[in-house]
Order: sequence, then structure tokens, then C-alpha cells
Amino acid sequence: MDGQLLSETFVELTDTMVADFDVIDFLHVLTSRSAELLDVSAAGLLLADPRGDDPRGGLRVVAASSEAARLLELFQLQSDQGPCLDCFRSGQPVTATDLSADQRWPRFAAAAGQAGFTAVQALPMRLREQVIGALNLFRATAGPFDAEAVRVGQALADVATIGLLHERSMRRSDTLNEQLQTALNSRVVIEQAKGKLAERLGIDMNQAFTILRDQARNSNQRLSDLARAFVNGTQAIPGPATSTRRQRQPSAPTPHPGPPARA
Amino acid sequence: MGPGAWRPWPRGSAMARVPGHAARVAARVTASRQGRIWGLVAEQAAARGGRVSAGDVCAAVVPGVQVTGAWLSAARIAEAGHLMRVTDEVSGRLAELELTLGEGPSLDASASGGPALASDLADGESGSRWPAFAPAACAAGAAAVFALPLAVGAIRAGVLGLYRDLPGPLSDFQLGDALVFADTATLLLLDAQDRAAGTPGPGAGPGGQPAGLASHRAEIDQATGMLTEQLGVSITDAFARLRAYAYVNDLRLRDVARDIVARRLRLPLDPGLSLDDEA
Repeated sequence: MDGQLLSETFVELTDTMVADFDVIDFLHVLTSRSAELLDVSAAGLLLADPRGDDPRGGLRVVAASSEAARLLELFQLQSDQGPCLDCFRSGQPVTATDLSADQRWPRFAAAAGQAGFTAVQALPMRLREQVIGALNLFRATAGPFDAEAVRVGQALADVATIGLLHERSMRRSDTLNEQLQTALNSRVVIEQAKGKLAERLGIDMNQAFTILRDQARNSNQRLSDLARAFVNGTQAIPGPATSTRRQRQPSAPTPHPGPPARA
Repeated sequence: MGPGAWRPWPRGSAMARVPGHAARVAARVTASRQGRIWGLVAEQAAARGGRVSAGDVCAAVVPGVQVTGAWLSAARIAEAGHLMRVTDEVSGRLAELELTLGEGPSLDASASGGPALASDLADGESGSRWPAFAPAACAAGAAAVFALPLAVGAIRAGVLGLYRDLPGPLSDFQLGDALVFADTATLLLLDAQDRAAGTPGPGAGPGGQPAGLASHRAEIDQATGMLTEQLGVSITDAFARLRAYAYVNDLRLRDVARDIVARRLRLPLDPGLSLDDEA
């Protein structure tokens, strides 16, 4: 465990909890730092969404440190099988030290193998008796997870839970559900903004996210507020690529970004 | 007008637009929460003999999640919110109170993009949140109010308001159902706006049911954002174009979205063109 990185991580997480706190930005930092800090290949974070077909509710991917981890999380939700779902449903940590020899989730194990992951540790995000999500750690190599790393991972999952309920009463289920749903909608706004910026600058989604996040931090705006204003055309993003804007597609004409069809 | 009459495209089964048929299809897929709820909404439309509309969601959600009444307002028609449907007098009064007082759960839900849930309007928290609305709503006969935004990210279609005459929270299961009712109303409202504007864009899937958005959606949202830039249209219109393209070409929304995000597909600039016209 890198003590220096650990303390820097908590400083960074605390920094995101000031006035311009944005839960999606916060959870993104949390998954990225979890992957680095806990010596795993990738981390993903899922939040409960009562919309699911399962009477116990479903899960939605809200942050992942890599695209491979995000797709594997999606695969779990789609195939309704995997350690993160078991963790969410039981409220207990779930460990698989060697997926190639694990019989519990054959479809998940195959998909994980294709994504390059052999071991997984799923940690619950709990608020008293209620499980509101899970933090999942993926590793390329087989073998047990370091006990201290698991403890720190669980602490980070707990920090994520607290961050989600930032400045709000945790007593009422109404408040918890409001916060969870607002976070899920923020995720949607940010994805829409990523798409618009990626298209405008001819960059990929990860680069678009970085520019949006940096711009939000530099201007002390909440990431989701900036994303919404950008999507609605009321705020410009001065991306670094404005001077190096390239043709996006070889054959297609560049559409004129005229006024909205219906104002 | 018959429920199938408006459909401007040749492809697909006209049967898919008949509410009774939709209800039967939905009844067969009881495993899906979305299918079950679509069936409840379609039953309302069938009972009054019309095409499924957002107003039917308002009627269906009341018994569906065991509330006393509901109201639905659309964002597009007026800034303050155009009241489209109320199920009883108290619902209408609650909607009116919010407009008069300038505070309340629908306004909060609309601003935050998340629900505003108050399972006891007489408690201190509701009182400090809405000092004018909470007591006025109690006086009007409401004890609990739940407002759900009709939104897809930055796309705002309106608000669905629910109230109970006795205090008590929605159970997690009821909240899940209420959110799916709200998703259904969102897509129906957007479709109605598209038709009113002459833009093709039903988000229909099997059985006339709006395509599901709850999962696997990052690509759908990213593609919508890309289209707003590519086509030079608003985010609402970009979403309409995405859904229309999937519908006309009989493709799954997320597959179309994935191709757009991978930059394998660009939609034609003219919304009147289908894939066939282009080829």
C-alpha cells in the first residue's frame, strides 16, 4: 500500500467535496484512485436503481476506471449474473480469486477472461441495513486480494456512500432515493455532454470527459451543471483542440451548426 | 382517429400501434417491469379508445403505485409548466399551488433532474423545504407528495406529480414502478412533441412500447450528444432523430447508438430521409 498515494487520494476526494461538489466527478475519482491504490487493474462502481425487473431493484454503472471494466459491469447486469450482483443482493463482500476455476458465474467468468481479468473483489456500499451499490475491483492475475487493500477498498466504498449523501440527512429513505436518482440523471447529462464535445473536437469519450471535468474544476462549477449548460448551448467549452479541430469523417460533409430546429 | 392512423412509415406492423394488442403483448412478458407497466398504460388508452398518450400514464399510475391522485405537466408548452392532465381536484389544486407559490416538489424535480419525495408533508423537513407549499398542500387534502422529473439527462419533457391523502413513503417497489411510469410518460411526451412538430420520432419497440432506457444507456446518451453537434439541432431533437432512425430501420436503439459512437454511422441531415431514401 502506497501511503503517500493514499493520503493524496483522501485529499483529492475531500477537494471534490467543497462547494462545487459533483457526485459523478467524485465517484469517478474514487474508482480511478481505487485502481491505482489497491494494485488492481480496474475498478467499477454500481448504484442501486429501483427500476430493475428484479423486485429487489436493479443496478446502474455510474463510474469505472477503464472501458473494459465498464463493459464487464454492463455484461454482469445484462446477464444477471456475477460477483457484483451477489454482493449487492447479499450486502456482503464477494471474492473470486481465480475466475478460470470458479463455477459460480460461468458467463461472467468467460466475459471477464476476455476482458483480461482473472480475479474480482466486490465490496458493498451500505447505509445501515440498506445496500445502495457496490465497488468492484478487477485484477488481471489470479490469487488472493491483500487483506489491507480490501480494508482500504471497503473504506473507499464507505466514503463513496457518504459522498453520495453529501450534506444531506441520511435518515430518510426519501432523501436517499432522491440523491441516488439525481446522481443517475447527472450521469446521463454528462454522457450527453461527452458525446457533444467528442463530436465537436473529434476526440474520444475519455478525452471529452477529462476536458469537461478540468473545465468544471477550473471554473468552480459542478460538472453536471457545466455539462447541462454545454448540452443546452448556453455555455461554451474552450477545449484545447479548438485550434486543431479536424474533419470528423472523411466523406461526410460537416453539418452547419445552425440554430435548433425548434427554438 | 384510429391508433395506427398517424404512423408515417411503411415498415413494421400496424398492429403494433393498437393499444389492445400492445396490452396483450405486454401481458405475455410479465417478467419485465417495463412491459407490465406499458400494459397498464395501454389498458387506459384502450378503455377510452384512443392512442396511448402521456395522459394515460397519469391515469394508470394512480392505482399502479397506490396513490390518491396524479398530475402531469409538460415542459415544452410553457416555461412554467403546462398542466396536461389531472386525475382529481386535489391534484389540480396542488399543481396550481406550486405555480402560485413558486415553490414545491414539481419545481424542485424539474430543477434538479431527480425526484422530490415528501412522504409526510406535515413533518419539519417538508415544512422547511417548502414553507408555503407544504401547509397549503396539507390544507388542500394532501399528506404526501412525490414529484418525478420526466427527463432524459438534459432533455426535459415535464413532471409527473403524485399525492396521497395519508402520509407514508412509496415502497422501493412502488418507487421503481413510479420511475418506470415516469420513463414511459417521458417518451410518450417526446413522441407527441415530435409529431406536433412534424418530426418523425416514436421511440417504439415491440408491441408499440417505448424502447427501454434504464440500462446499457451510456452509448445512447453519448450518441444523442454527438447528434446534437452533427445535425446542429437541440438535444431533444437529436434524441428524436436517434429514436426515429432506429424505429424506421427496425434496429435496436442501443445498436444504432453504438454505431454512432464508434463513428461507423452518421445519420442523414434531412430528417425526412430514411435509410432507403438515402441508398
